Amino acid sequence: MSEQTGKQLSKEEKDARFEAELLPVLDPLYNFAYRLTLDEDDANDLVQETYLKAYRFFDYFEQGTNAKAWLFRILKNSFINEFRKKSKQPAKVDYSEVEGYYNSDDVEGEGGVASTTDMRTESVQDLIGDEVASALNALPVDFRTVIILCDLEGFTYEEMAKILDIPIGTVRSRLHRARNSLKEKLEKYAKSMGYNS
Amino acid sequence: MESRFTETHQKLSEDGHESECDKIVKLLDLMIDGEASTEEQSYFNTHIEECVPCFESHQKQKLLKGLVSGHLKRVIVPESLALSIKARIQETV
Repeated sequence: MSEQTGKQLSKEEKDARFEAELLPVLDPLYNFAYRLTLDEDDANDLVQETYLKAYRFFDYFEQGTNAKAWLFRILKNSFINEFRKKSKQPAKVDYSEVEGYYNSDDVEGEGGVASTTDMRTESVQDLIGDEVASALNALPVDFRTVIILCDLEGFTYEEMAKILDIPIGTVRSRLHRARNSLKEKLEKYAKSMGYNS
Repeated sequence: MESRFTETHQKLSEDGHESECDKIVKLLDLMIDGEASTEEQSYFNTHIEECVPCFESHQKQKLLKGLVSGHLKRVIVPESLALSIKARIQETV
């Protein structure tokens, strides 16, 4: 292959550049790892491994290009190669538990209608977040991945195609199926809560 | 099972209208993700002004995206992670 020559950086310079360019992606990268593995320790390992790989290949990384997409791609590949086999079963939603909380006496409270309304608003926010997480975690990992990349991290279809190594057409169809699947799970939940869409 | 994954879209009486709605369904994701071309956007917007089912499908799709982007809690990165990455990198020659 062709040589990656250019200016030879000292280790200190290289490390400083590496940290400045790639460490700001730590938060989204860790969140992505967590949504893939559904386990904090696995996410931790996966992110560390991703950064070590990135460091090894840092000479091939062009300054100013999309560091976030580059790291996401490395992480996704590491996940496929090493973590997928041992990744745990997705958490199942326990609707009865949620309903129980919702109908509990605490929510009715002593403060009458007004405080009930306030508590409902706040707890509904939490419930929605938990419910979206459960529905998402119950999706196959390929579906979960496109939804996270698109809706949570705001990658374009083109960036997603590069991260996942698939054509844009596949990104589109996978995203469409993923959303239908997520919608179906959330609609079931909405019905169980007595809402009709 | 497979059929449940497809959009349950309301059928309209006129055949011509139906195929136009099918095109709109295909544009839904592009629209909410900001990936539609200018032509696609104007085609889409003109259609949903006069088609209630498609208007509602668009609202639902936006809501779904908003549920993920606005309600999914982010996990907090452990403080030790950045430090251990830096440490391991410094060890690497």
